[in-house]
Amino acid sequence: MGRTDEELVEACQAGEASAFDVLVGRWEDRIRGAAFRFLGSEEEARDVAQEAFLKAYRALAGFKREARFSSWLYQIATNLCRDRLRRRKTRATVSLDELEETGSVIVEMRPGVHDQLLQRDLARAVRRAVESLPDEQREVVILKEYQDLTFLEIAQALDVPVSTVKTRLYRGLGQLRLRLEGEGLRGAAPVPAPAP
Amino acid sequence: MGCERVGDEGLRADMMDVLYGEADAAARARVDEHLEGCAACRGEMAALRGVRRDLRAWRLPVARPSFTPRGLYLPRWAAAAALLLLGFGSTLGVTGYASLRRSLAAQEARAADLERRHREEVRALEAKVARLPGASFDSATLLAGLDARIDERLRASESRQLGRVDVRLAGWQEQLDAQRRVDMARVAASLSYLDGRHGQQLARTNELMGYVLETSARKR
Repeated sequence: MGRTDEELVEACQAGEASAFDVLVGRWEDRIRGAAFRFLGSEEEARDVAQEAFLKAYRALAGFKREARFSSWLYQIATNLCRDRLRRRKTRATVSLDELEETGSVIVEMRPGVHDQLLQRDLARAVRRAVESLPDEQREVVILKEYQDLTFLEIAQALDVPVSTVKTRLYRGLGQLRLRLEGEGLRGAAPVPAPAP
Repeated sequence: MGCERVGDEGLRADMMDVLYGEADAAARARVDEHLEGCAACRGEMAALRGVRRDLRAWRLPVARPSFTPRGLYLPRWAAAAALLLLGFGSTLGVTGYASLRRSLAAQEARAADLERRHREEVRALEAKVARLPGASFDSATLLAGLDARIDERLRASESRQLGRVDVRLAGWQEQLDAQRRVDMARVAASLSYLDGRHGQQLARTNELMGYVLETSARKR
């Protein structure tokens, strides 16, 4: 049984620098995944993940265990993504089509060309819909739907009350529903078979 | 017909808890009770579950295995910029150290100049005292005391400067270490990913071989 994040953080703080390698290995893919969904660019997501770990490493000595390490890490990564989005907005608007070109959308291979195309269209529509949400709602939707954080963890990562997280998520899902229905794709995803 | 509690934030929060499986028994009971009598909210919950299913369609791109460690891969322009930055940083480090050494030498020169002037003043005072009737003056003791004070000041100044250099060097070293640790972890992650891919490929080849053997046996 491996050590928990909190035990590894404690070990790092006590001078066992190699414990940080374990934390990087454990969280890098998830942080990079979240950054990719925030920014829409693999290269930028990789940079953000690396920067987040560097920041965390430098600030580890002052990390107080009031929040979980993962929430703290997501907080750092989210702030880095916000900075990049802010800079991007002041420079130029990146078209959604352009984003779609840079990040390939992979859908599971399913029997039947029609199903496959439908899945790909749905994936693109979902991506466009998520990207068009206001920043506050998009962050919550991504952290909840794609990172599986609890409401409390999201609240800690974004430094807002849990009730705010739920309100933003409710509104975000409502917006997504409208946008997907508007494209005539809502409900295109296969309904999972009920458990036996 | 819409819901009568459309603006009820508490109910919406409970619904979110139920939707994501984080509701306690009390919240679940509140939502169930409301849904039983509210067709609009029943429809909304079903629609939100559908949205959640749709959201799963957007998957992350599959990471491409690469023999270049991911953490070290840079486009050419970025690599050039990094080299430039590294060179600039090193130059700054070297010139910073050189300028510290220069400032130490300048301080030593100033101290020597000060000492020379003090000696002249002492000599002038000595001459003045010697001209006074019945006076005696131990100039050697005075000069030795002065020398000791000047040496002490020089040593203190030098140790301060060296201390600053050490702190700066330690800071740079720490930053390099941090970068190295993250890079090594990424290399390790890349290698383990490749290992996994290799294993999958082997399993798939075995499966294909089994299929071919089985088919040929059937034909025979």
